[in-house]
Amino acid sequence: MTPSSTTDSTTRIPGERAAVVWGIIATVLVVTSTIGVFLVAPEDADQGVIQRIFYFHVAIALASLVAFAVACVAGILYLRTRNDRWDDVGEASIRIGLLFSVLVVLTGSIWAKASWGTWWVWSDPRLVTYLIVVLIYAAYFVLRSSAEDDRRMRYSAIYAIAGFASVPLSFYSVRVAESFVHPVVFTTSGANMPDSMLIWFVVSLAAMLALFIALLEVDLVGRRSERALRRLALRLENA
Amino acid sequence: MSGGYQYVVAAYAVIWFLLLAYVVVLGARTARIGRQVEAISRMLDRRERTGGDEDGA
Repeated sequence: MTPSSTTDSTTRIPGERAAVVWGIIATVLVVTSTIGVFLVAPEDADQGVIQRIFYFHVAIALASLVAFAVACVAGILYLRTRNDRWDDVGEASIRIGLLFSVLVVLTGSIWAKASWGTWWVWSDPRLVTYLIVVLIYAAYFVLRSSAEDDRRMRYSAIYAIAGFASVPLSFYSVRVAESFVHPVVFTTSGANMPDSMLIWFVVSLAAMLALFIALLEVDLVGRRSERALRRLALRLENA
Repeated sequence: MSGGYQYVVAAYAVIWFLLLAYVVVLGARTARIGRQVEAISRMLDRRERTGGDEDGA
């Protein structure tokens, strides 16, 4: 098994180095935040140990909203430039954002069961509006599979931009309707927690954002590799 | 509310499981790309050996 003379082992796919660097950063931050959340952060006097779900639950929720924001920006850039690269960024961001959203719903549901004694509260605007956001972004993939080539990319970009309107709706819903069960930790007057907890929340948030970037970079490198391979295979068939 | 460890464990287990599953999916795609590269590389080697007579079909 000798490497072929036609393949250059030093050639890198664009973004490969960034994927490795962000992967390392994400791993370090996730491990650090896990240690901090379980071993260093103080126990909440009111909720006890179950409050530890908060650190990753809220961090992943915010990272999912960032992912949808990235998809929205990528959609705008695609419509302006018609560059496939932005379609890739948009789809990968929504895929990761959706993964994070499912995690938020599942961990939130577990936390709700532990804290409120029920898995879900349909009368709470934060829970319901967030579920709507998840369903809207899940429908993005149905739309993508229903069109081809340029139309698919154009429709996806428009949907990603329009779908982002649901994000502020979810974010501000609990602030507009105050008398519901879902707590509001971050207000305009600051965080509703001591600094010893806040620091580990910030580390967890950084970890989830780094994880999002790392997964995005890996996804994009995979897409570029697949595209390059398809082009190469086509050239070989026609040669 | 001194108990509730099982809920914390369940929440973090869900997070780790789904993230790991996603990484496995990405890994499977990378492995598929690797196999395709290998196939193209073999095709090129065969062509070089046969001096381009073989069309690889």
